[in-house]
Amino acid sequence: MPDLSRRSVFAALAASPVAMELIRSTMAKAADLAASGLVGELQGPTMITDPAQWPKTFKEAPMLAELVKAGKLPPVEQRVPAEPMVWKPLNEIGKYGGSWRRAFTGPGDGENGNRIQSSDKPLHWSADGSKIVPCIAKGYDLSDDGKTYTLHLRKGMKWSDGAPFTADDFVFWFEDIYNNPEIVPTPTPEMRPNGKPGKMVKVDETTVRWDWEVPYFLFEEIMAGDTAMGGGQAVRQAGKISFGAYAPGHYLKQFMPKYSSLDAVNARAKQEGFENWVQMLHFKKDWELNTELPVLGPWRTVRPINNPIWLLERNPFYYAVDTAGNQLPYFDKVQFTLGENLEVINLRAMAGDYDEQERHIDLGKLPVLLENESKGNYKVHLDLGFAGADFLLQCNQSYVADPEIRKWLTNADFRRALSLGIDRDQLNETFWLGVGTPGSPAPGESMPQNPGPEWRKKWSVLDVAQANKMLDAIGLSKKDSDGFRVRTDNGERLRIQIIAIQAFLPYPKLSEMVADQWRKIGIQADVKEMERNLGMSTTRNNAHHIFIWNNGGTELLYLFPRHAIPVDPTEAYMGPLYGTYYASGGTQGVKPDDPNLLKIWDLFTEASGLKVDGRNKNAQEIWKILVDQQYGIGTVGQSPAGLGVRLVSNKLGNIAARVCNAQHCRTPGNSHPETWYFKA
Amino acid sequence: MLPYILRRLGLALITIWAITVVTFIILQLPPGDFVDAYVAQASASGSAISAAEADALRVAYGLNQPLWFQYVKWLGHVVTGDFGRSFEYGRPVTEVIGDRLWLTVLLSLGAIVVTWGLALPIGIYSAVRQYSIGDYVFTLIGFIGLATPNFLLALIVMYFGLHWFNISFGGLFSSDQQLAPWSWAKVLDLAWHLPVPMLILALPGTAQLVRIMRANLLDELRRPYVVTARARGLPERQVIFRYPVRAALNPFASTIGYLLPFTVSGSIIISVVLSLPTVGPLLLSSLLSQDMLLASTIILMLGVLTVIGTLLSDLLLMWIDPRIRLGQLK
Repeated sequence: MPDLSRRSVFAALAASPVAMELIRSTMAKAADLAASGLVGELQGPTMITDPAQWPKTFKEAPMLAELVKAGKLPPVEQRVPAEPMVWKPLNEIGKYGGSWRRAFTGPGDGENGNRIQSSDKPLHWSADGSKIVPCIAKGYDLSDDGKTYTLHLRKGMKWSDGAPFTADDFVFWFEDIYNNPEIVPTPTPEMRPNGKPGKMVKVDETTVRWDWEVPYFLFEEIMAGDTAMGGGQAVRQAGKISFGAYAPGHYLKQFMPKYSSLDAVNARAKQEGFENWVQMLHFKKDWELNTELPVLGPWRTVRPINNPIWLLERNPFYYAVDTAGNQLPYFDKVQFTLGENLEVINLRAMAGDYDEQERHIDLGKLPVLLENESKGNYKVHLDLGFAGADFLLQCNQSYVADPEIRKWLTNADFRRALSLGIDRDQLNETFWLGVGTPGSPAPGESMPQNPGPEWRKKWSVLDVAQANKMLDAIGLSKKDSDGFRVRTDNGERLRIQIIAIQAFLPYPKLSEMVADQWRKIGIQADVKEMERNLGMSTTRNNAHHIFIWNNGGTELLYLFPRHAIPVDPTEAYMGPLYGTYYASGGTQGVKPDDPNLLKIWDLFTEASGLKVDGRNKNAQEIWKILVDQQYGIGTVGQSPAGLGVRLVSNKLGNIAARVCNAQHCRTPGNSHPETWYFKA
Repeated sequence: MLPYILRRLGLALITIWAITVVTFIILQLPPGDFVDAYVAQASASGSAISAAEADALRVAYGLNQPLWFQYVKWLGHVVTGDFGRSFEYGRPVTEVIGDRLWLTVLLSLGAIVVTWGLALPIGIYSAVRQYSIGDYVFTLIGFIGLATPNFLLALIVMYFGLHWFNISFGGLFSSDQQLAPWSWAKVLDLAWHLPVPMLILALPGTAQLVRIMRANLLDELRRPYVVTARARGLPERQVIFRYPVRAALNPFASTIGYLLPFTVSGSIIISVVLSLPTVGPLLLSSLLSQDMLLASTIILMLGVLTVIGTLLSDLLLMWIDPRIRLGQLK
């Protein structure tokens, strides 16, 4: 077992005085970091919505001007919509040109590009992530009864091939893609408030309306969120999923049997090397793979993602301009270079090989990243997140395999004691270099759904004495000769298993530290490191005690609830059987008997019919229960651990001091990379 | 001789068929399938795929069919030279592999040449001048080379390359040359990037071969026929190179069987660490994402190369060492 011995060598190394000294000095540095200007103010370009202030004439990039001259492209006035998106860039009007160099890890890393393409969403979020703002839609109306939602598109907007982008593209998606069970086998709950399917209709060329049977105020948030309906074409139609609310019908119809015949499209599929037309369609509608696909975002793929270089080029029909009338984006190209592993990507980043990179940059490397700032000619920014827990211990509430373990996992005082047994400061200093916020999993205080500052510390501070007292009180007072508490059924040591997979942060190492801290409260935790697939399928089979993940995205609870409450069977780490029960409307899975979980579900279900204030109040109530019950034990959060360590070349202009680092902001999407430029 | 080769070829076909069966079964052993891996990947990047959606994908990719059916379908296509389309890359498998194949072969062949070019002379020298200063030096270096995991060496070289020389290793091209069409500048760029991974790849193998060559040759040098040759007054050079070295080469020839597959995927860990666009990392990632068609094609290719390599090495052995005879004693 050479692997084992190597690991133990590293473990010994980590515990050596030299290594500890290294960590200590890093920590000392980190304490200064928090106050060192690495964390700036949230900012971004300003959207000009008053038509009187819009530019009257337009300019374009030199590479497009050449095409216009050659007669291959209509002039810029005809390409920009009559109602464009107008940006006042953060600092100044930029210059055209250049290729933005970035790293990606291969065809599985599509999100890397989807996010910078995210101005193809129906609606987006303001730079600080707090307000819904226009995007491809210039606005929306919500009827007083919450049963009608109307989206207003921009007049004269076009796809990247020049074809008009209208309400027909929404109807095409709804009728031909979404309602075709061969392409979309199950409807998204987002289109079925209270299980009742909604309708999408065209009002006129630039107006689409959604009709619901029940009040559905939440839909405004969904259309702006990173959701099935609001995510935009790039992410929601890449890979093999087919949501996104609209699709380029004028292009995709040729691949669908409805518009020719089943034989014809299947024959074409065979000829192009696909097994059937559905597979062909999945390829054709994927902007990462198909260079011919019309898109709406600032760039389009010219060299697909399945190459060592994924290359994007400007969309000549992009719908946004700056206040001087320059059609955006400023960058001609975006060039993603393959890095087979994260070490290499981080090393290249230090060498200044990337112009802007926040994805795949490792917080643990912060000291070296800072050391190489001047050599690599870049600046490091830390973009703090808003989610409460970057490292969340989710206790499986629907666990059944071992009744004794189930008894304790479902015991609130047991979970609270586990939480009180965690030294969050030690975790923060060691793995977050001190830049995270220790405490409960509740979202950051600046978020509208935060339940109040007193819920940050509730059950979420180190208190070994209290934890021991609680564990004794619930019947776990007996200990074995090594000081570990024993099971009440057979007197053997109580062993709680933590499953950790390597993702975002070094979860297995973090878990080991927690397991070590729990020795003081007499709890034996066995950390099991698993490969990702294995870990995920273990949780799907309801076979885990505690599973480690983060709760990124739960800061807007209704848009991404799955890591806060068990409502979605896909990753219901907190109770797979319960998640299935909720999602299936009670036809599958198991109904929980915990009244608190049922209360949470009621509040959650009710919220979709409430206006924003009511929704946020419900979310606060849910968070109060979650923090009090400790189904998910929060440790450290609101940190830059995920997508928050941003390296930006000093050559770039209009760069925000801090960008909204959150799932709904599509980091760095709502910082609008189309307004960044090369200063020289 | 000809019947022997024909019989071996027949056996090789059966072996290759067996490899396809084993490959297919092994690839099914890990939990889940490509769709599971895809869903896991999506969720790790913040995207959501529903359970029903996943089932539809299984139908689209034919993963819902029984294993034997998938196997027969795949084999039927493979026989006609159609290896299918990679799930993850969305491109024909042959293209995905082809992109990386020649760089891989170039790198590995380079490494083999370096290995042999260094190991043979050093091994011979160490044996002939046993316990000389030179022998000790090479032995020391050899043991260090054997004992250092080469991925660690790769990381160290990369770090100091950046720290001291401001060279960013990793990959085989600079970022500005990566997209450029082939030109002298690009060839030079490649030539600049190649030696380091080549050396790192070659080092452990070199150390090992030096030791083998030295031990074999020492055995041979003590044989009576060497003494006889010396006694007959043959020049020292001829004594050593004509007989003992030739005999000592046997183990080299018999390892050629493994060299062929090595040229294609012998460098998985190094390639991942150095981020080289070779077949090794492709195999690893296809196994992780359970991209069945891609993984089984690569493994099949390795199997075929091993079979061919073994055949070649057997023939080569017979040629080098006339003492080896065909057939059984009756």
